[in-house]
Amino acid sequence: VKLISDAGFQDEIKSVSTVCQQIEVFSRVLKTSVCSFLEKGEEHMKEHLPEFTNMVCHGEHTYLYTQALLSILAQESKGGSHLKRLCQEINKCATEKGHDVTPVTLALSGSASYPRACGALSAMLSKNALNPADVTVLFKMYSSNDPPPVDLIRTPQLIELLTEALFCPNSRVNPDHKSKYIYLLAYSASVHETHKKGVRKSINRDELKQTSQAIEKVSGIIFENKSCSDLICEVATLYQCIRFPVVGMGVIRWVEHAVNDPSYFQHNIDHTPLHIALLDEVSTCHPMLHPRILELLISLFESEFKELDVLVQLELKKVILDRTVHLLSRGFVIPVINYLKQCWEVKDTDVSLIRHFVSEVLDVIAPPFTLEFVQLFLPLIENENITGSIRTENEHDPVSEFIAHCRQTFDDL
Amino acid sequence: MSSVAESDTSLWLHNKLGSTDDLWSAQTICSQLRQEILRNAHSCFQDLQSHVKLKFLLSFLHLPRRHIEQWKSELDEIVEMAVGDSDQWVSVLGELLKTFASTGTVNLDIEENSHLFAEVTTELKKLCKRSSDSGMLPLECLVLNKTALTAAVGQLPQTDKHFALKRKPKSAALRAELLQKSSEALTSTKKN
Repeated sequence: VKLISDAGFQDEIKSVSTVCQQIEVFSRVLKTSVCSFLEKGEEHMKEHLPEFTNMVCHGEHTYLYTQALLSILAQESKGGSHLKRLCQEINKCATEKGHDVTPVTLALSGSASYPRACGALSAMLSKNALNPADVTVLFKMYSSNDPPPVDLIRTPQLIELLTEALFCPNSRVNPDHKSKYIYLLAYSASVHETHKKGVRKSINRDELKQTSQAIEKVSGIIFENKSCSDLICEVATLYQCIRFPVVGMGVIRWVEHAVNDPSYFQHNIDHTPLHIALLDEVSTCHPMLHPRILELLISLFESEFKELDVLVQLELKKVILDRTVHLLSRGFVIPVINYLKQCWEVKDTDVSLIRHFVSEVLDVIAPPFTLEFVQLFLPLIENENITGSIRTENEHDPVSEFIAHCRQTFDDL
Repeated sequence: MSSVAESDTSLWLHNKLGSTDDLWSAQTICSQLRQEILRNAHSCFQDLQSHVKLKFLLSFLHLPRRHIEQWKSELDEIVEMAVGDSDQWVSVLGELLKTFASTGTVNLDIEENSHLFAEVTTELKKLCKRSSDSGMLPLECLVLNKTALTAAVGQLPQTDKHFALKRKPKSAALRAELLQKSSEALTSTKKN
């Protein structure tokens, strides 16, 4: 095995336990994988993460070795943030596999210099659950004049737990302590520090108050458990608060929770139920949340809604597709088209839905188009089964015009 | 220290940590670790199987802070033995845990003593410098306000514009309609 590895054929060594036996082989495979993640970006990483984490999580020693190595690289000013993300993804996968990685995470985070904060975090992260006593410890420390570094509470797992506690109406946060949860989440989302030679020089809390207020307002609305018709009064407030990314994320969690109720679409017979419409506002304000929104829309689009009449199901799916068109209009183009293309190729989607999508898109787009977009979209447009019925004989229709434009503009097609 | 106690400890560690099926079982012995066991373990450490050594060392990470403080010298001695171990995994783990008992943190300054670690780190550092912006950001960035985000990761690059918009999609009309309904609903609530 070592000879294969020495010769540079890391990809050929498939057995995880074989790779992990010798640190030399493990290190080389690790290096090859990290190189490809750095070069090829997020999509590639997501695709190859399962096999990579299988190797990294082979044992606690391989996990610690990898995370230690990556945490050194995560300090690099260029490329470091990509590797910090990789550390977090590995951490998430290990937790999902049932391993308690909190001690490793905390021993690498430098939190030991703040033993009380570290104790509180350790208790909550290990159990993956918040509790008022430890939240109170953190709240007191972060509302003092000399709080610990914001990075300590800016961990994805804690943010996720706080978001869930404040935006999912089935969570049971003690009302007496809720303001502390809000404060910690707002602090983590809004405060930034300046450092000079590793020493903290200042803490900017300018946006802490307004971020707290926005979370408080929306969380309050959510916990009142209003029906869609009652919620309509709150639309302006919701739109205003959604401007804060952390609220945008919270709203996505809330919508996920609401639509997971099997009777949601039976009770909300509006053309576009309010929760679904709110996703548009999040898309408009926060491009970084686009992947998360698309994920939710895809899971809804692929749900069966057996309890609804077939025609109502189709109408609902068109409403969901309209949200994807909105996402596309806000710049999240390639992943949306890729998904629809995949729906067409797998042949499990009613063709009328794909037709609806392409005509809605043609309705809003205008040149100049990029070649990448055209190469993905044109096959759907040219397909007779999809667009045959919306073309006219004189070719003065959006479909024919789009095809003609692309053919004229791009020689490579 | 009696040799019986040492062999007992060795046997106990092999019983507890001997399975090669689960290499994540280090924390299972934490509640049973005692200062005496650590002293005995120091004497029998060299004779333990490599994977038992690894798991034993990793159990230190799961100990409550007060125990780490109380048993600091015993833990340090075992870690020191691990650093000199002939198994490379054991010695690297020893290096990584060198500062753990005194500072609670993993020692990241091991490049000098582990040429492999150094080699991989140096090569990947070079690659980081050459890396293009792949758009992979830490997960917490999703919820950061704009100023906090810029402070954390700098300005984000502009995304490609794949087309122009000749009109707004239907969602714009829906938004206007919802705001209209909202203000009507508010007015009627106030009247009532």
